[in-house]
Amino acid sequence: MTVKAIKAIVLGGMLATAPLAATADEGLDPKDVADMLHAVMDSDRTIYTKMIVQRLVAKEKLIKASEFFDDDKAAPLPAQMFRFGSEMVADKTDLFSYSLQSLWPINKQNAPRTDMEKEGLQFIADNPGENYYGEEELGGETYFTAVYPDVAVAEVCATCHNDHKDTPRTDFKVGDVMGGVVIRIPLDG
Amino acid sequence: MTRNSILWLVWLLGSLIAGAAVAAVMYVGGPRDALLIGQTTGAHHQIELACDACHTADFYASPKKVAKKMNKACLECHKTELQLSNDSHPVKKFRDPRNADVRAKLDALYCHTCHAEHKPEITRVSAVTLPMDYCSACHQDVYKNRPSHEGHGFETCASAGCHNFHDNTALYEDFLVKHAGGPDIKDVAILKGAAISRAPDPVSVALASADPKADLEAYLAALEDAPDNPGEEAQKQLDRVLGAADAVAPDAHMTDDAVSKWAGSAHALNGVNCAGCHAPDAEGAETIAADWIESPGLRTCQSCHKNQAKTFKEGRHGMRFHPKLPKPRKEPKDGVEKLAATLFRDKPLGPITVADSALTTLKPEAAGIEIGSCNTCHKPHEVDIAVAAVGSCMGCHDDTHTRNYIGSPHDNLWKAELAGAAPGTGVSCADCHMPKIEDRRGDLFTTHNQNSYLRPNEKMIRTVCLSCHSLDFAIDALADPNLVESNFNGRPSVQIESIEWALRRAE
Repeated sequence: MTVKAIKAIVLGGMLATAPLAATADEGLDPKDVADMLHAVMDSDRTIYTKMIVQRLVAKEKLIKASEFFDDDKAAPLPAQMFRFGSEMVADKTDLFSYSLQSLWPINKQNAPRTDMEKEGLQFIADNPGENYYGEEELGGETYFTAVYPDVAVAEVCATCHNDHKDTPRTDFKVGDVMGGVVIRIPLDG
Repeated sequence: MTRNSILWLVWLLGSLIAGAAVAAVMYVGGPRDALLIGQTTGAHHQIELACDACHTADFYASPKKVAKKMNKACLECHKTELQLSNDSHPVKKFRDPRNADVRAKLDALYCHTCHAEHKPEITRVSAVTLPMDYCSACHQDVYKNRPSHEGHGFETCASAGCHNFHDNTALYEDFLVKHAGGPDIKDVAILKGAAISRAPDPVSVALASADPKADLEAYLAALEDAPDNPGEEAQKQLDRVLGAADAVAPDAHMTDDAVSKWAGSAHALNGVNCAGCHAPDAEGAETIAADWIESPGLRTCQSCHKNQAKTFKEGRHGMRFHPKLPKPRKEPKDGVEKLAATLFRDKPLGPITVADSALTTLKPEAAGIEIGSCNTCHKPHEVDIAVAAVGSCMGCHDDTHTRNYIGSPHDNLWKAELAGAAPGTGVSCADCHMPKIEDRRGDLFTTHNQNSYLRPNEKMIRTVCLSCHSLDFAIDALADPNLVESNFNGRPSVQIESIEWALRRAE
């Protein structure tokens, strides 16, 4: 359904005008598709952070969470869970892709790289609560790109990032925008 | 006809025949040596004439499809190794479109970007065909993030002891910090897996005791994963044991030597009679004689020794038997192709001889030995299975590292173990190159894929070296090519700074 929907909207040239409750012929606006995908990602991410890491690691101290989860026999960090999901999605489909990035990344490969990523991450940092949308061309393909704020939903988010030896920023607190989720949908069909 | 016309005719006919022969070899069968565009890398030469092992795409497929299919072919054989190495740069990390600019510089989606085949003139160690500064494509910011690396060029990243593109399981920063320090040789230096697998067989120990059942029951009950009913299990294991009187084989094969060696072997202890290997499908004395296989090989052994057989086929000694290798091309049913097939047919790869496999220095007298059967190295009738751990290797390999093993510290320990020292204290060839690892269920077995722990040699650190040595010592020793060649007769003459740097950053 989503595949057909996206193709239909591109072919029909109705990119920016498609309403949310579009008919099957018109398909869905990529922005709505991105918003829907993000709603799922953000909910799963928040739940893992709160229910597993904040609860079982920080509060109950029943398990450990570690970047080196395999060697440390620990739970993966929320950022890793998110990345593993996005890598698995990339294995399954090229209809969309997503990643977690930050202006203050611990892993420097997660710093914004494209112009739109840089602009988007700065925008969501400067305008809390707002998302950023645009189009960009990468490797000869045009993408609809959406950047959503990634907020510290629990104490562990802030403490872990503030304490990590590779962090460029040490004053995060709960509620701060720590980075952004970037979702891309190719528009060229 | 003029002389010129005749020559033209001969040329035309000759060209047609040659063209037809090339087409037949390409599409029907026959030896494809002439089509090779350059020597293949490393052990690949063993399978290089099975072109369709790697070239799996259709003739008219797009370049992208060809590349994708070729990657898939690489992974058919190398997937397990990459999983074991917890690959630092898996393809999935590069799929995201945000990496388009990176991929333009170094297309890490494809194995052959770095490991191009048929290019011996530019192939480096570990089959890398790129200039050694390939890390620069993505890690330009390294000097900013790691000031300690200042002054070290990108061509040195993958130097021994520092970084690997795929396997950094013993080299990542946190691991270096956790394993820093300690004596070069640990106070208790034992290869854990070897200690377990070389411990005296509990059943034979029990049989030698006054009350075998009680002895074995006590042993089983003390195990970490003890059976629910140790007494019942002990009885079951003892009932299984066969003795010389139980041997069933055609008269001609019932020699005292064969029977006595078998009766002392693990096969007899585990209830495997002569026919179990020599006539596995036979029932009754008559069919045993009719089905008797003189020298059972891989096909028989693998029915019980699954892990060993699987890894053997993934390694350098058994790769010609890898299940994913293409079979000989099928004989065409009709037409010109069927006609061509009368002249041009593929032969199965079959075992390779030592002479043909020569990548390293091998003994001339071993030239005719065929590799590909378990009993090339193992002597199943021998009570002493240790022959495969050193003796068999020495039978063919004749390079400096191998020759220097004799009299090396590891060899001295191995000899001491054979003379009665604790199991796992000796270090044989197999202990480093074919270590004991766990399968998916956690059961210990000897991996027969020596490639998994060979290059880069830091792959050995976690599985092997750290059992007895400190990480500092292991990294330095493996980074010293002279020490490796001398088979570790002496001390490392190089000192890799990675642990020191890691500790400094952790402070």
